[in-house]
Amino acid sequence: MEEPRIGVYVCWCGTNISKTVDVEQVTAAVSKLPHVIIARNYKYMCSDPGQDLILKDIREHQLNRVVVSACSPRIHELTFRKVLVNAGLNPYLFEMANIREQVSWVHDDRDIATGKATSLVKAAIQRVAHHEPLEKRRVDIHPATLIIGGGITGLTAAMEIADSGNQVHLIEKSGRLGGMVSLLHQTHPHLTAGNELIQPLIDKAQPHPKVRVWLNSQIEEVTGYVGNFRARIRSGEEVEELDCGNIIVATGTKPFDPSQIPEYGYGMLPGVITSLEFEEMLRKGKIVTKDGESPCDIAIIHCVGSRNMEYHPYCSRVCCTTALKFANQIRAALPDAGIYQLYADMRSFGKGCEEFYMRTSRRGVIFMMFDQKGKLPVVKPNNTGGRGRLLISTRELLSGEEIEIPADLVILMVASEAREDARETAHLTGISLCGNQFFIEKHPKLDPVATTTDGVFIAGSCQGPKDIADSVSQARAAAARVLASILCGSVEVEVTTAVVNDKVCCGCQTCISVCPYHAIHFDEEKRVSEVNEILCKGCGTCGSACPTGAIHARHFTDDQILSQIEGLLSPITLKAMEMAMED
Amino acid sequence: MEYQPTIVSFLCNWCSYTGADLAGTSRTKYAPNIRIVRVMCSGRVDPTFVMKAFREGADGVLICGCHPGDCHYHEGNYKCLRRYHLIRKYIEQMGISPERLRLEWISASEGKQFAELADEMTADLLKLGPVNIKNVLEEV
Amino acid sequence: MSYRIDPEFRKELGKFGVGSEWSECYHCGNCTATCPLTEEKILFPRKGIRMIQMGLKEKISAYVEPWLCYYCGDCTKTCPRDANPGELMMALRRYLTSVYDWTGLSRKFYTSKSWEFGFILFFAALVVALFSVFLPLRPDAEQMVNASGGVMINSLIAGMSPSTFVSVIEWGDWIMAMIVAGLLISNILNMFHKIVLSDHSVRVPLRAYFIGFWKLTFNFLTQARFSKCDNRNYWAGHLLLMTGYSIMFAVIVVLLPEFQTEEVNPWYHWQRLLGYYATFGILYFLIITAIGRIRRSDINLRFSHSTDWLFIIMLGLTTITGILVHIFRISGLPAATYYTYVIHLAVLVPMILVEVPFSKWSHLAYRPFAIYFSELKKAGKPRTADIGLAPAIS
Repeated sequence: MEEPRIGVYVCWCGTNISKTVDVEQVTAAVSKLPHVIIARNYKYMCSDPGQDLILKDIREHQLNRVVVSACSPRIHELTFRKVLVNAGLNPYLFEMANIREQVSWVHDDRDIATGKATSLVKAAIQRVAHHEPLEKRRVDIHPATLIIGGGITGLTAAMEIADSGNQVHLIEKSGRLGGMVSLLHQTHPHLTAGNELIQPLIDKAQPHPKVRVWLNSQIEEVTGYVGNFRARIRSGEEVEELDCGNIIVATGTKPFDPSQIPEYGYGMLPGVITSLEFEEMLRKGKIVTKDGESPCDIAIIHCVGSRNMEYHPYCSRVCCTTALKFANQIRAALPDAGIYQLYADMRSFGKGCEEFYMRTSRRGVIFMMFDQKGKLPVVKPNNTGGRGRLLISTRELLSGEEIEIPADLVILMVASEAREDARETAHLTGISLCGNQFFIEKHPKLDPVATTTDGVFIAGSCQGPKDIADSVSQARAAAARVLASILCGSVEVEVTTAVVNDKVCCGCQTCISVCPYHAIHFDEEKRVSEVNEILCKGCGTCGSACPTGAIHARHFTDDQILSQIEGLLSPITLKAMEMAMED
Repeated sequence: MEYQPTIVSFLCNWCSYTGADLAGTSRTKYAPNIRIVRVMCSGRVDPTFVMKAFREGADGVLICGCHPGDCHYHEGNYKCLRRYHLIRKYIEQMGISPERLRLEWISASEGKQFAELADEMTADLLKLGPVNIKNVLEEV
Repeated sequence: MSYRIDPEFRKELGKFGVGSEWSECYHCGNCTATCPLTEEKILFPRKGIRMIQMGLKEKISAYVEPWLCYYCGDCTKTCPRDANPGELMMALRRYLTSVYDWTGLSRKFYTSKSWEFGFILFFAALVVALFSVFLPLRPDAEQMVNASGGVMINSLIAGMSPSTFVSVIEWGDWIMAMIVAGLLISNILNMFHKIVLSDHSVRVPLRAYFIGFWKLTFNFLTQARFSKCDNRNYWAGHLLLMTGYSIMFAVIVVLLPEFQTEEVNPWYHWQRLLGYYATFGILYFLIITAIGRIRRSDINLRFSHSTDWLFIIMLGLTTITGILVHIFRISGLPAATYYTYVIHLAVLVPMILVEVPFSKWSHLAYRPFAIYFSELKKAGKPRTADIGLAPAIS
């Protein structure tokens, strides 16, 4: 291996780092370390002039390794790797020291922060000396796409991809397409019928030559990697395997079961129904109580299971406006009915929704605020006579009064929650779950439909509660991402895989037993293990299990990590720093 | 100078490292004694890494992975868990208190928990005092 | 104690002359913040709007705050939603008047024009009938012009001595005053029951009843609370009207023999000066208010209920006929004096009977008593330990 010539760059990140870390001191302290040819600091390393600085140094000083000490590698590792490529270096001859998220943003003492930052940079320098060039590989993208979920999100994405001439496999767990939208009588805020939105999509998708709809079907296993997935699908007794290049997960949500909240008496009191049951009532065309009578007073309780630490901490986003929609529909059907909205906070965000709230508030709808953090409203049968079969008692926050609301029908605006099989789906497709069991996107702002697994995208409310407009936007966004990769034809795959040194391997096969991807097989002839680098995802578990050290986990090799640990712990004495400063 | 423990921490790339980043972006302050090494999966944490850290003078080693069932590589964290119990026994035999090695699950959203963990472990190690690795090595 | 929501209440309140603008209110609290009369424990109008929005009928009938408002209109001006809180307070005063009135007539008068006009016309006709049957004009009235050049009004009645006539009118005055006072006092007791006694959360110490009474008298005489409103012109005008009206009331009831005299006193006589002050006070206010209501110049005069106009018209007619009686009397026109006098009474009597116990004039008593009652409640000690349940938003 050639002699390492390392360039070290310490970023100020404006004042983000320089406020807490003495960047000059860090630069000086590491500049005298072995193999360090040049050490600099700059205001913003990620800026164009910052990148040019590295580029110029590589060329001028014939650097063959680069360390940037700045933010998290999750943010800018790729940026700087590109600089190396532009300078004609292999991108893996690079290492980042995270002195912003791990130092300047979490520590206050300037001396301690500077010392810690110096250790981290030193560790990165020691590590990068052991880096080796890795060659990127490209694999072809299979043009077919697997879409899981036949609701409005899945259907929209399917049509977008199929219309461009690419095969789509649309997998639906239930026996019908349309999902949640087909259960809605009307949608907010324009009161368009749910059926009007979904039926044309279903009618188009079903006969489409490029769409194969799988009803009553479920994914059993997904193997492979971006561009070359293989999914095993079960429909009833039949099992079929199909190949696809990309996967869009659009499995949606399910309604919260309100019988968990004893205060509301759901399941015990006949007049208490969920928002979806009310939608069904609306679709049937008649608002009636259990006894078939027309209700005089209807109360709508918001945030049932949402924004409540005992159930779900998040906002389900669609219930407030749906409740407003209900008020309008009730008013149209029953002009004299009393309509009460019991809300925790009205959240009618979104285009046209605040206006919808204003219009609704003028239609004789009474809005009352309850304390979501305190005592929830209690629904009880009315035993005292007067209006209403049921009475809801609560403390109304805007008046501070303890009140009783008469109601013949109580509608619970139930939360949207992750489907019970979300975890299973996540495992099959390699997606992570957030604390609320929704799928996690790659980046909440900059990459909202991608996941940490290349080639697997998420769209719609399986990522978090969403209205139709947002779900459709995500469906089209995911479709665009898939189409872009199909158009490109091939994709770069991660090269940080494991490789077996067959001279050292003793053939114990421990690695085979720990590999979660069955990427290692045993070569009977040579009596050694061999890694299939396309199936390997680079977790490195085999590397740590190998008793002889025959497995080389690329970019996370024993040498690299051990020297990084050494660097982290090697004493950086004040004297050494002072000496460096004097020079 | 007053004793300050040094902790080497191995964080998996997908959950725990992101969780530590979140502590940073949320500006959650924690003890500066922790030094982080990124690995792709907690399953990559080789016993050698832990031994090396103690050998080089760390007072504690913290391994963090995804919560059970959330591993990006399906089950690397379980492999790590099994290995962890063995390493604890091993370091104990060497005269290093097993409490100096910890394995915790930190998800990508648990920045606050990571910061609390760093504080807690620093406080524990302050109570335990320095490892004095030279004495340990001589005894061995 | 919890209050049951009454969904019909909004409809009921609508009959008292307010639209449903209040449903626009989103409780920003600007109205309460801008009002110079709100205090820590006396919060309006937002709180009242909330009660109405929710239909807390029971709570509203114990709501004393509308009477503590003098309707300067600042709340309506600052309302970002045009919910018109000022007029709502006005409508609440009308509604509360009907709540306090146990006879139910107030509600009838406020909600049915035929009841109101029928009642007025009946008593007007009764007065005219009484005069034409029992107290007709003397045939030789033209000769009754006396030496001083005026008409001796009490001598114009056929078959009755002047002193007897004055006694008859005085008796009539007293009977009417008793009826009106009886009704008003019983209504005030009803109000006291609803506002103070029914509120189980406070216990009022006996001492407070005496201390508070001073505030009642003081406020009645000076309208001092009104002067705290930003526009003091309203207070000055109102004080002029109130004193004028009270003086006039006093002289025609208590001092009638001194007021309705045989002799025409010289202009500087106290009796004539008091009369002129009262007439000026009432007339000035009436003209200003009538112009304001027509032009809708000020926010507090922008919305006029039928009873507001009826009050202006009747008081205006009474005043004008009163002035005419005076002019005809000193001009020596006996027949004109007599007939104008009858018309004057035919307007005055139904006005007093309708307005004082059942309608707008009742606020003369309700306002100071409301101040009194709110003082009592402020002095009251909380009976239960539920201080922790103070409203989150006031």
